[in-house]
Amino acid sequence: MPHRSNPRSLRRTRHIARRVLAPLACAVLGLGLLTACGGSGSNGTNSAASNGKPVNITFWGWTRGSQQVVDAFNATHKDVHVTFEQIPSGTAGGYAKLFNAVKAGNEPDVFNVEYPMLPSFVSQSGVQNITSEVRGLTSHYLPQTIELTTLGGQNWGLPLDADPQVFFYRKDIFTQYHIPVPATWSEFRTAAQQLKAADPTTRIASFFTDDPSTFEAMAWQDGAHWFGTTGDAWKVDLTDGPTQTVTGYWQSMINDDLVRVEPYFGQQWTAELQKGQLAGYLGAAWSAGSLKSALPSQSGDWAAAPIPTWDGKAATGMLGGSVFVVGKDSKNTAADIEFSSWATGTVAGMRARIGSGISSVYPADPALVATAKNGFNTAFFGGQDIFSVFSSDGSAFRPGWTWGPSMDVTNTAITDVFGKLASGATVAQALQQGQSATVSDLKNRGLKVAPQ
Amino acid sequence: MTITQPRPPHTRTRLTGGVDRAPRRWTLSRTAVNAALILATAYTLLPVLWLLTASGKDTGDLIGGRGLALDRLHLGANLRALAEQDGGIYFRWYLNSLLYAGIGALVCAFVCVCAGYAFQVYAFRGKEKLFGIVLLGVLIPTTALALPMYLVASKIGLVNTFWAVFIPTLVNPFGVYLARVFTAGYVPGDVLEAARVDGAGELRTFWQVGLRMVLPGFTTVFLFQFTAIWNNFLLPLVMLANTKLFPLSLGLYSWNSQTSVDPTFYPLVVLGSLLAILPLIIAFVCLQRFWKAGLTAGSVK
Amino acid sequence: MIRRGATHSGSWGRGGVTVLLLAPFFALFLAVTLIPIGYAIYLSLFREQAGGLGFGGTSQVFSGIANYARALADPAYQAGFLVTATYCLLYIPLMLCAALGLALLIDSTLARARRFFQLALFLPHAVPGVIAALVWVYLYTPGISPVVGALNGIGVPVDFLGAGGALPSVVNIAIWEWTGYNMVIFYAALQAIPRELLEAARLDGASGARVALSVKVPLIRPSLVLTGLFTVIGSLQLFTEPMILHRSAPAVISTWTPNMYAYGAAFDRSDYGLAAAASVLLAVAAAVLSFVITRFGAGRAGRSTA
Repeated sequence: MPHRSNPRSLRRTRHIARRVLAPLACAVLGLGLLTACGGSGSNGTNSAASNGKPVNITFWGWTRGSQQVVDAFNATHKDVHVTFEQIPSGTAGGYAKLFNAVKAGNEPDVFNVEYPMLPSFVSQSGVQNITSEVRGLTSHYLPQTIELTTLGGQNWGLPLDADPQVFFYRKDIFTQYHIPVPATWSEFRTAAQQLKAADPTTRIASFFTDDPSTFEAMAWQDGAHWFGTTGDAWKVDLTDGPTQTVTGYWQSMINDDLVRVEPYFGQQWTAELQKGQLAGYLGAAWSAGSLKSALPSQSGDWAAAPIPTWDGKAATGMLGGSVFVVGKDSKNTAADIEFSSWATGTVAGMRARIGSGISSVYPADPALVATAKNGFNTAFFGGQDIFSVFSSDGSAFRPGWTWGPSMDVTNTAITDVFGKLASGATVAQALQQGQSATVSDLKNRGLKVAPQ
Repeated sequence: MTITQPRPPHTRTRLTGGVDRAPRRWTLSRTAVNAALILATAYTLLPVLWLLTASGKDTGDLIGGRGLALDRLHLGANLRALAEQDGGIYFRWYLNSLLYAGIGALVCAFVCVCAGYAFQVYAFRGKEKLFGIVLLGVLIPTTALALPMYLVASKIGLVNTFWAVFIPTLVNPFGVYLARVFTAGYVPGDVLEAARVDGAGELRTFWQVGLRMVLPGFTTVFLFQFTAIWNNFLLPLVMLANTKLFPLSLGLYSWNSQTSVDPTFYPLVVLGSLLAILPLIIAFVCLQRFWKAGLTAGSVK
Repeated sequence: MIRRGATHSGSWGRGGVTVLLLAPFFALFLAVTLIPIGYAIYLSLFREQAGGLGFGGTSQVFSGIANYARALADPAYQAGFLVTATYCLLYIPLMLCAALGLALLIDSTLARARRFFQLALFLPHAVPGVIAALVWVYLYTPGISPVVGALNGIGVPVDFLGAGGALPSVVNIAIWEWTGYNMVIFYAALQAIPRELLEAARLDGASGARVALSVKVPLIRPSLVLTGLFTVIGSLQLFTEPMILHRSAPAVISTWTPNMYAYGAAFDRSDYGLAAAASVLLAVAAAVLSFVITRFGAGRAGRSTA
């Protein structure tokens, strides 16, 4: 017996030493960590380094540069070690995988979801309520991103980016055919006609059939409100006035064969971009990195422009954008928050991401915009200051947009009709389908739906 | 279309006289028959040929439509990228597939042969009713079962484990049917009787006489199940989230999904696909006797 | 020695050994077929219930046959069965005719290099469905595919991934995968036909084609029925190929087949009750259909031999 107590007491001294040292280390490492250390002490979760070994957490994501962020984090943190797993992008199977993990009870500690899908994960009880853990942090982020991550009065995630919609175009092709860069959607249509007349094999952009997020951003930009709440009931209106304007516009673009109708990021889309059969892309800030790595041979040919407007007044919807959330069953909330806040709210975290060379997110933390801007090599865009284009848009997110509680159902219903656009279905039918599928899903789940 | 030339002598000797004298107005010419077969073969081989040439292309050429071209090959670079991606996880998938399919098919074939042998050799009450249940099992589509299996597995905490994919592959009702047919064909009753007369117990008779004689059938069931597991997609798709447990089919699918984020995955998927079909092609070329025997047994009875 | 053998036999006995040999299979069969079906039926009777705006967690409530009613009333689920039916009508006759035709050609006295042709035609069976679909997507995509390029070059506009092309494109992948496999089955059955029978027919003056159609084909009817049965069961399982095409062909929507519907209900919408109901309905439909075919096929085969 006595010979056993010896090592145990030794271990305890080591343990105590670490407990004393850990806060010290936190203080040295900076602001982001301070909250993490505070959190770990208060709620009694596995405190970083409390048992002498770094806390291991897992992280799933697909945002560009995630690997570099994790590597940089691990290199500078002794208390937490992050294991990263790259998963397919949400609509390409990432969400299915995450929901699978939620159901099976083997979620990662931290993962990324896009703003539209956050309500679904919250209502499926897939993510942790981190209201108390992030209390001191939320003020750093753009208020609109905090609104989108606050559901039912509680905080559910830390926002990474807030990406305004952007029109990317082939400067060389537009110049060659003397087509002015469109500032309004009606100019956009004219430009599309001019381009098609000049080169019948080329189109100005694509209408994506498998992902309604681009369409939703345009409805948002026009002032649509698909979802809202009155009391404890949901208001669902996918066919309001502004949406109908957008619907009519794109239906006529499709009818007149002015845009390609095809899946997002598919082989066909990539091939058309590569062959110059597509002279533009309605993307978002983050798309700059995607274009750059998909089309290395077109470096210098591309440029970014603010998204065309409906009425000449600068306004934009948010397209994509990811949130760091904590898995429901994670036992390491403090470490999870430490990593998440480092990745989304510190200069070092943003520098690592942008430094990957393939990411061009527009940070949700306004203090980091300069970091992103300075870190992104814009040779692909002929040296254009694309972050200034993003900024001019970013200040003009149209307020009042809310995502519904089951955007997975809504989006699937819409895209299943979008898929039939080539065989006679219409954009309006897609939205009606989205409306009825959403309402019946909400009712089936026992949620209240306010009459329209 | 009529053949006017006389047949070459060696053909004539192989056929009996009557055939030669038959009117030939309606027979297809030799050229037409073989041309049709060559056309069909070209159709079956084209995608494989494309895979062969495309596996050496970079993303630009692959997406640019130069998949079948024979120049600008970067096979070495692609192989290196394949080996380095995610710390060589591709080989992990390869090993997983070999484990799932190899061990799974081995156990499955043994289980099937045991049951098939028992159904053929022994008489017991309700035997044909029980065999009817086995046949009913053949009729239920395995993909319709994948989701129910997932729901059970997630209930008992087996989801995202090796066993979640491994255990379901041990069952193949059709294998039991095949094993019974093979036992009927390969294991004569009097041989078993002789073994019993020699004093061997039932178990030993099965182990030392029955099993040995039905070995070709065992190999056939093994080969069938190996192919089925190697090709399995839906079951691992629903069961697995941990990439370290993925078999090749799911791994390649997930890489293909990554192409939307990162186009450099295109060549990896193509080369990975080519390497993934090699073992089965080799197995089929080497083991022709067995799969042909299996297909015959499955259809004639 | 003999005595020991006898005791050994006595301790196990025929009954014991029978149980021992059958037990592993039936235990596994129970575990991966009967229990999952039972559990799926159980789950299909419940739904997840949330309250308020839905952010406060969920509870399971008994809902009777509501999930079945929902699945059956859902136009998307119905459309899935319609797609499957159309697929079967297109795929099964085409594939079986091609397989039978090729088998007869190889079996004819005129074919050369039979072993090579058999192997080459069988080769696609060695290619997993995922890989087959991935490769065919490349061969379908305009701008990437040499096939589309060649066809456009000679003035044939094709759109394999368009609205009208999606179903034929999936059918083509299935034909590619399964024709050779079934051809080998038919060829093996043809080889088993007694040669004297064929020679007798030829002596009667029948041509090769006539012998093939009126003597050989009726004789391998059992193979045709069995192969047809397995093809129907396989067709109802349609999942992998459309799942891959889903990303490239807009017309292949997320609920294109009943299997995809069930998968989507579970993993895109986390509606496990609906997913379970959809799976159970599919399994029942498959079992009933196969049963009908075996009855019908066996009846026909019975008459032909009688």
